[in-house]
Amino acid sequence: MSMNALISFLTTIRWQDIVDVVLNSYILFRLYVLFRGTNVIRVVAGLALLWIFQRLAAGMGLIVTSWAMQGIIAGAALIIIIVFRNEIRNVLQAKNIRAILWGFPDKSARAPIDSIVEGVYDLARKRTGALIVIPGKEDIDEVVQGGVRWQGLVSREMLMSIFWSGNPVHDGAAVMSGDRIARVGTILPLSHRDDLPGKYGTRHRAAVGLTEQSDAMVIVVSEERGEVIVVKNSDIIPIQDNLALKRQLRTHLGIESELDEAHTRRESMELGMAAAVCFLCMAGVWFSFARGLETLTSLEVPLEYVNRDSRMQILSASDNTVRLHLSGSGALISSLKPDQVKVKLDLDNAVNGENVFTISHDNIAMPPGVRLNRIEPSQVKVVLDFPITKEIPIQVDWVGTLPEGLILKTVRLNPEVVPITGVGKILNNIRTLYTEKVQMENLRSSGQMTVGLALSPASLKIAGGFKDRVEITYIIGKRQG
Amino acid sequence: MAILICLSTELVSVDAADDLSRPSPTGMSLERAVMCEYIEDYAPHHQAVVFSIEVGKISCFTSFIGIRSSTYTLHKWYRRDELVTSKRLTLKPPSWSTYSSIQLREADKGPWRVEILDNRNQLMKTLRFSVTD
Repeated sequence: MSMNALISFLTTIRWQDIVDVVLNSYILFRLYVLFRGTNVIRVVAGLALLWIFQRLAAGMGLIVTSWAMQGIIAGAALIIIIVFRNEIRNVLQAKNIRAILWGFPDKSARAPIDSIVEGVYDLARKRTGALIVIPGKEDIDEVVQGGVRWQGLVSREMLMSIFWSGNPVHDGAAVMSGDRIARVGTILPLSHRDDLPGKYGTRHRAAVGLTEQSDAMVIVVSEERGEVIVVKNSDIIPIQDNLALKRQLRTHLGIESELDEAHTRRESMELGMAAAVCFLCMAGVWFSFARGLETLTSLEVPLEYVNRDSRMQILSASDNTVRLHLSGSGALISSLKPDQVKVKLDLDNAVNGENVFTISHDNIAMPPGVRLNRIEPSQVKVVLDFPITKEIPIQVDWVGTLPEGLILKTVRLNPEVVPITGVGKILNNIRTLYTEKVQMENLRSSGQMTVGLALSPASLKIAGGFKDRVEITYIIGKRQG
Repeated sequence: MAILICLSTELVSVDAADDLSRPSPTGMSLERAVMCEYIEDYAPHHQAVVFSIEVGKISCFTSFIGIRSSTYTLHKWYRRDELVTSKRLTLKPPSWSTYSSIQLREADKGPWRVEILDNRNQLMKTLRFSVTD
């Protein structure tokens, strides 16, 4: 693209286009921020890829492939909503409007890591079996079963008491939620893996089972050996000491040291990259939809006259409309409304008589981004005239027939003439002003009647306070001989 | 043209004085001008302002006085402001009556007028009438 073409392109961008791209980029970015780390993002990315393939297939004329992909995309979109309904619900329900619109998830939200670590190692020292679930991004409500609602703040003592063998709920898993233990005595799905070491019992199998179906992390304290393991993504990670457990927890919860500037930089860079990718995606979509398809159209636009001398009247014009041949993006052209395009002729310098106006771009107002290719006709002749007043005699326009043997002998009108105002060229050719048609069938004797005047053309006006009606006095006689 | 003009010029007696007659600069004046169904015995009969096409023919009768030398008058027949025909009729001193006629056809229905002018093309009188069913 040459520099001129680039400048030409930039000048056609409307403020609405900029708002369009920025707004949708931000919406995409917010969706990324809210759903990042979950499978939703991965599936949506897959869908986007499918959509690109579908467009390519359609572009190459692969009709069946394009249809099939369209079907898959439509089905997949529905499936996403069903499968990830819990994640979507969590985002929309658990967060306030501020968090949804511009907040960034605070991963360090009151995570009681120290309490968990202390509690876990106390349990290990006392050889008390324990199963603690720390959910990730994904909702695990659909995976786990049973349990008792707890909602207690996490503390070392709390963990000890939950998994104390005398506690009725000590056999199940404790599920964390933020700084609280949300449920206890929860039953986790068991893994069907047959490669687990024999030393691991049901508790370990349950931990692996849950991590096979979610992104949760499970801490297992062995009752027999007092050892601590962490299970995540189906991987069993033996924990040697409390520092290792703390590291695992920090990693899982996304909590890094406040002094870890590298992480902060990485985080900022990731978000910055995501924002840039969102913007580029939306700009690309906008370009492909709004700019990519050049569309031609033609509009029949009425001529509008401005700055006419109030004493002058437009007598005639060679054309009342002009046809404009326009081009622009498909979206812009399809959203174009006739009232957005106006053709105005300035009559400021018009003279009495015939005036020829050349219609150019300067006479045409239209939305930015729309290009004018041709004007038909490019010239319009407009005849202007000053109005004059003239006295015109009135004549009755009789129709029908009088009853047999009668004759309409004389007619007198009141008034006989009326002053009429109109443009000179028209009025000079008018010699008589006729009444509306007057039927004679019912006239049997002399009399009077009042009828209206038929002003034609309609631009003519009766002046001098005269009414548009005339009184007819007629004399009817008998036909002699 | 849907109208046939039957024109004749003859001397007729000037009896009834009609209303306005505009004196011509030539000195002659229009003493009488009427629309009628036919002329008989040098006089207009069945004067009217509305004529049925069934009448078949109508005439514009005019009589002049004060004619100093042989001259002429013009009868211009208009239907709805459109000139249908113009007839030049000779006038002889000192007074003279003359008329022009048209044959009516179906297409002639509507408002008509006949303008009577002198030899200088000055309008002396306008007669207005209608042709109906």
